[in-house]
Amino acid sequence: MAASLCRFVRGGFGRNFGFVSRSPALVHARFDSTTTETRPTVRPKDEVTHNQLSAFGEYIAEILPKYVQQVQVTCFNELEVMIHPDGVVPVLLFLRDHTNAQFKNLTDQTAVDVPSRQNRFELVYNLLSLRFNSRIRIKTYTDELTPVDSAVPVHLAANWYEREIWDMYGVFFANHPDLRRILTDYGFEGHPFRKDFPLSGYVEVRYDDEVKRVVAEPVELSQEFRKFDLNSPWEVFPAHRESKDTPKLE
Amino acid sequence: MVGVLKKTTGLVGLAVSQNPHERLRILYSKILASLQTIPKDAAYRTYTEQLINDRFDLVKSEPDIEKLERKINCGQIEEVIVQAENELSLSRKMVEWKPWEPLIEEPPTNQWKWPI
Repeated sequence: MAASLCRFVRGGFGRNFGFVSRSPALVHARFDSTTTETRPTVRPKDEVTHNQLSAFGEYIAEILPKYVQQVQVTCFNELEVMIHPDGVVPVLLFLRDHTNAQFKNLTDQTAVDVPSRQNRFELVYNLLSLRFNSRIRIKTYTDELTPVDSAVPVHLAANWYEREIWDMYGVFFANHPDLRRILTDYGFEGHPFRKDFPLSGYVEVRYDDEVKRVVAEPVELSQEFRKFDLNSPWEVFPAHRESKDTPKLE
Repeated sequence: MVGVLKKTTGLVGLAVSQNPHERLRILYSKILASLQTIPKDAAYRTYTEQLINDRFDLVKSEPDIEKLERKINCGQIEEVIVQAENELSLSRKMVEWKPWEPLIEEPPTNQWKWPI
């Protein structure tokens, strides 16, 4: 594969990497507009940053094709790399140690629960590179029972983040030094941030004078929980209709 | 002794290195040696070799530390040494993981579809 090499210098720091014209993993979702946007309330498109980020995303996808499934740059110029769950430690270590990446800070680690999917939990790692002043997001997936490799050997900051994800979602992290609950009460059962966990929970606690301690009893709501369906019957975003045949770059 | 040795790097835990050119020379040659075990067509090998060779040529050609720091344009020379050490450990682990192989497993359909 002949790779055409050109240099990108961003903001005073030289990050030299070759640019490859095609990549199977990059997903383009751009809506072509022929008229320029003049409304002041609409964010102006920053093409330069967008192109730099997508070039860097292609660079990562080219170096780690074993783990990277998809790369995208959001409309707010945020680079997101979707990887296979087996590749958490390799990708994070590559981004931390490689000279062109140097994402030494783990800013945040969370999970997202989407119950309709097969792998309902989506793990999100936000990294920051102080050297190159750029951020990146790594996303993986897992279901309720499959463990994921812990990021603690790579970033020590992941310790409490993973404890929180275990506590709130029930995602087990293998090789974590100390995986226990961090936010819920000591004998609490359940994982509160899951979408099927009710808002008021299953138990409520009160002090019982007879037994002289705090007891947990099933929750009693004075009013039945009201769920409002706020969807309007009319189409909300006519400019963002999903096209039936999305062109995939193969 | 050419040039004045600076007193401190300004960074906690990072000592001023006495002979940065020598240290960088050793590290870069070690990195290039460990990259030889990777298959030639792997993207990691090509890009890292290009990057390390560029830095190595700069180190070989520029004896003055200040000017070298400015040419490499990646912070102080001690930080450049740390970056080289990290790249060395990374290259050794890359040999183990082999990330240039094709994708392990495609994601399930609609895994990355957003909005659902």
